[in-house]
Amino acid sequence: MEAEISINYLAISTELIVIFTIVGTISLDLILSKKSKYLVALFALAGSLISFIPIVFQWANYSKAIVLFEGSYVIDKFSIILKGLFILITYLTFLLSINFIESDSYYEGEYYFLLLCSLLGALVVASSRDLLTIFIGIELASGPMFLLSGWKKGDPKSNEGAIKFFLLGVLSASLILYGFSLLYGVTGKIIFAEIVASLSATGLHQSPVILLSAILILAGIGFKISVVPFHSWAPDTYEGAPLPVTAYLSISSKATGFLALIILFTKVFFESGSSWGVILVLISGVTMFIGNLSALQQTNPIRLLAYSSIAQAGFILAPLAVAGITGNYDEGVYASITYLVIYAFMNMGAFLVVNILINASDSENIYEWGGLAKDSPITGIFSVIFFFSLAGIPPLGGWFAKFVVFRSLLSTGEIFGLSLGVVGAINAVIALVYYARISKIIWMDDSPAGERVVTVPNTLKVVGFISLALTVLAGIFPGIFSNLGEASAIFFSS
Amino acid sequence: MTNILETFSNGLGISLVVFLPLVSAIFILFIPKTQEFLIKITTLGASVVTFLLSLIVAYQFDYDKAHTFQLGNKLSWIESINSNYEIGIDGISLPLLLLSTFISVLAIIYSFEHLPEPVNPKGMMSLILVLETGMNGTFVALDLILFFVFFELVLLPMYFMIGIWGDRTVRSVAGLKNEIETRLYASIKFFVFTLFGSAFMLLGFLGLYFRGNKTFSIPELIELGTSGAFTGTFATLVFAVLFLGFAVKVPMWPLHTWLPDAHTAAPTVGSVLLAAILLKLGSYGFVRIALPILPEQAKAWAPAIAILSAIGIIYGSLACLAQTDLKRLIAFSSVGHMGFVMLGISSLTSIGINAAMIGMVAHGIITGLLFFISGSMAHTYHTRDMGRLGGNMKLLPKTGALLGFTAMASLGLPGLAGFWGEFMALLGAYNPLSGLNITVFRTSMVAGAIGTVLTAGYLLWMLQRVNLGEPKEEWIGQDLHDADNYELAAWIPLVILTVLIGVFPKLIFGSTNDAVINLVTKAFGG
Repeated sequence: MEAEISINYLAISTELIVIFTIVGTISLDLILSKKSKYLVALFALAGSLISFIPIVFQWANYSKAIVLFEGSYVIDKFSIILKGLFILITYLTFLLSINFIESDSYYEGEYYFLLLCSLLGALVVASSRDLLTIFIGIELASGPMFLLSGWKKGDPKSNEGAIKFFLLGVLSASLILYGFSLLYGVTGKIIFAEIVASLSATGLHQSPVILLSAILILAGIGFKISVVPFHSWAPDTYEGAPLPVTAYLSISSKATGFLALIILFTKVFFESGSSWGVILVLISGVTMFIGNLSALQQTNPIRLLAYSSIAQAGFILAPLAVAGITGNYDEGVYASITYLVIYAFMNMGAFLVVNILINASDSENIYEWGGLAKDSPITGIFSVIFFFSLAGIPPLGGWFAKFVVFRSLLSTGEIFGLSLGVVGAINAVIALVYYARISKIIWMDDSPAGERVVTVPNTLKVVGFISLALTVLAGIFPGIFSNLGEASAIFFSS
Repeated sequence: MTNILETFSNGLGISLVVFLPLVSAIFILFIPKTQEFLIKITTLGASVVTFLLSLIVAYQFDYDKAHTFQLGNKLSWIESINSNYEIGIDGISLPLLLLSTFISVLAIIYSFEHLPEPVNPKGMMSLILVLETGMNGTFVALDLILFFVFFELVLLPMYFMIGIWGDRTVRSVAGLKNEIETRLYASIKFFVFTLFGSAFMLLGFLGLYFRGNKTFSIPELIELGTSGAFTGTFATLVFAVLFLGFAVKVPMWPLHTWLPDAHTAAPTVGSVLLAAILLKLGSYGFVRIALPILPEQAKAWAPAIAILSAIGIIYGSLACLAQTDLKRLIAFSSVGHMGFVMLGISSLTSIGINAAMIGMVAHGIITGLLFFISGSMAHTYHTRDMGRLGGNMKLLPKTGALLGFTAMASLGLPGLAGFWGEFMALLGAYNPLSGLNITVFRTSMVAGAIGTVLTAGYLLWMLQRVNLGEPKEEWIGQDLHDADNYELAAWIPLVILTVLIGVFPKLIFGSTNDAVINLVTKAFGG
C-alpha cells in the first residue's frame, strides 16, 4: 500500500534538532580525543539553544493546534510552552554539569547524550495523543535517568540509588502498560480521541475496568512524580546521583510525569473524574504532609530537597485532583502547570545553592554550613531567594504558584477543594521551618571552620542569575504567566 | 510644573513613597561593603526623601473628602486573576503612612552608630529600606492581593533583623532538647506565627473573590459588603480566617506569644519598627478590610473581640508586673496597649475607631521611643535586668529624663498622646454600637479601666526600679555613656510629637474622623 504521508517538518523541528544533536553528541564523543571532550559539552549546549528557536517561532505563529500523524501528535501552545520549559531546564542542567562532570573521571560524552535522550522523551510526551507515543515518550524520558543516577560508579550509595530507581522504574512501566492494555482491550483504539468516542458510545466510561486502568496508570506515573505512597525511592536515588542529575530528576523528570498524568487524565479519563479525583485528593494531601514532615528531620541537604520536592508534588497534584471532582479541568490544569513552571526555576536555584555550599564546606550536613553566607554573599542571596520562594513568601515567585493552586482549589467552594486548601495552608507553614533553616544556618550561625574560600564558577552564576531573574519576575509580575492560562484553554479546545 | 503635580497626585506620589526605599535598597547592594559612610548617607537620604514625599502627599490630600480614596491610581497588574495595582489613601491610612515614613527615618539615624554585632550597616540599612517598602505599601494598597504581597514583604527583613543582629543569650525553650540562642528561636517563631495567620488570611481573600464578582479591589468589595453581599456560614468562615491573619499580627491575646520573644531578641531598631509599625498592619487590616467588607460578621464577632481585648489588657499589665527584663516589660505593655486599640475597634462606633486610630499612632510613637531608650540602656549597661539597674537618673541623666517622660506618656497621662487612645476606647466600649451586648462591653470597659490603673502601676514601678534610687555598686566608677547626638536626634522628634498630639489630637482626628464616620455609617448604619 502506498500511502501518501506529508509531514509538517516545521512543526516537529524542535524534536528534529534535538535528534540531530543527540546523534552529533555521540559521534563527536567517538571522534574527539580525551583532551577536547569539552567540545561535546559545547555542542550539546549549542544544540539545546538552537532547538529553542522553533519554539519561539511556533509560539508566535501557531494560534491553532497542528495535528500530525492522524491525531497521534499535536503541537499546540500548551505543548510548545512546556517544550520550551524542558529545553530551558536541560540547558541549565548542562551548565550545572560542566564543572561537576569535569571534576571527576566521569564519562563526558555519554552524559550529555543521555540527558538529551531524556529531553527528547519529555518533548514527545508534551505532544503525544495516543497510548503508544505517550508510553515511548515516558520511557525515553526516564530510561536514561536510570543510567545517569548511577553515574558515580565508585560510590555505593549511587549504585544503591540507581538500582532502586531502576527496579521501581521497571515496575512502574509495567503498571502503566497494564493500564494501557486494559484501555486497548476495552476499546480497541490507541488514539485518545477515538478511545473516548468508543467509551461513550458503549457507555463504559464509568465502568470498573476503566477505573482500574486509571488506577494502574496513576500508580505507574505516581513513581515518576514521586507522590506518596510511591515516593520511597526518591531520597535514596537523589542522594546517590550526581547533583545536576538530581536537579534534572526533581524538575524535568517530575514535570514529564505530571504532564503525562495531566494529558491522560484530562484527555482520556475525564468522565470518571469524580472517582479518581477523590483518590488524587487523598494522595495530594498525604504527600504534602509526609514530604514536609520528613523534610523537617533531614540534615542532608539533598535528602531535604528530595522530601521538599515530594511535598511540592503534592501541591502540583492538588488542583488536578480537585478538577477531577468538579470537572473544572481548565482551571485545574492552569494552576498545576503554572506551579510546575515556577517550581522548575526556583528548585533549579535551590539545587544550585546546595551544589555550591556542599563544595564550599566539603560537607553534606547542613549544620556544618554555618556562616557560609559571609564567605560568599552572592550564594547567601541566592539561598534566600530560592528557598523562601519555595516556601511561598511574597514577593518571590513561589507565592504566585501557591496562590493559583489555592485559587483553583477554592474556585467552586466544594468541600474537597476547601479541605485541601486548609491542608495546603498548614503545609506552607510547616515547610517554612525547614526552608528558613538553611538561611538561618548560613546567615546566622557562626562558622565552625573559620573563613572558607567559596568559588562560584561562572557557569553556575549564569544558572543562578537566570533562575533568579525568572523567580523574582514571576513574583512581581505574575501577569507573564497569563499565557499559560491561554495555553491550557487551547489544550482543552483541541 | 502643573503636569508633574498632576501625575504626582495620580498615584505617582504614593508609588514613589512605596518604592523609593526598595529601589534604594537594591542600589545599596551594589555599593562595596567598605564604603560604610556612603551606604549610611544614601539610606538616610532615601528615607528622608521618602518622608518629604509623604509630606507632600499629606499636603495634597483633600481633608474635606477624607472619606474617599485619593491620590491613587489603578493599573493593570495580574490580568489573569483580575488583580490590579490599585492604590490610594484616605483619612484612615494617611496618618499611618506618615508614621511609617517618619519612624523609618529615625530608625536609620539611630542605626548610624548603634548597631549590635555583627554591625554590617550595609545589610541592616538595606533591610530597613525593604521593610519600609512593605510597610508603606500595606497602608496604600487597595487590592487584596497587593495588600497581601506588601503585608508579607515585611516578614523576610524582620526575620533577618532579629536573626542576625538579635540577642545572643543562650536560653532553654520548653519543647526543645538543646539550648538555643534567643535570636534564633525568636526569629523563626515570629515568622511561623505570622505566616500561619496570613496563609489562612489568603484563603479568606480568595473566598471574598469568588463570592464577590471575582474582584480583589477593596473599594469594590466594600461596596458589595456594605450592601450585604456576604452572609451565612461562608462569611463567618471568611471573617474567622481574616481575624486569624490580623489578630496574630496585632497581636491579640492568646496569639501574642511570639511578641515578647521577638521584641526581647530583636536589635533596637528592629524592636522599634516592629512595635511602631508592624503591629499596626494587623489593626489596620481590621479597619480597612474586615470591618467594612464583612459588617454583619464584625457585629457578631465584636463581643468576642472586646473580651479578648480586655483579657489582653489585663493579661499584658499583669505580665508586665512579673517582668525583670526591661525590654520584655515594654513588649508586654504593647500587648496591653494594642488591647485598647482593639477594644476601640470592637465597639464599632466612630468614637471607638477614632480612638483606635489615634491609639495606633500614639503607641507607635511612644512605644517606639521606649524601645529606643531601653535598647540604648541595654547597650550601655550590657544588661536588661531591672534588678541590677537603678539610679539611672544619676548615671545617665538625659536618658533617664526621657525614659521618665515616655513612661508617663505610655501610662496615658492627659496632655500626652497616649491619653486619647485609652480614654476614648473606654468611652467607645461604654456605649458600643446599638444592638451589641451592652453587658459584655461595659464589663470589658471596667476591665480596661482596671488595666489603666495596672498600667500606671507597672510603669511607675519600672521607673522606681530603673530610674530612681541610688546607683548600684557595680556601676559606680564605670564609664557609662549617656545619650549621644544620633540618639537624641532620633528621640527628640518623638518627644515633640507626643506632646503635640497630646495637646492637639486634631492632628490625627482631622484626618481620620470623616473617614471613620463614613465607615461606621456605611457599614453599621450608626
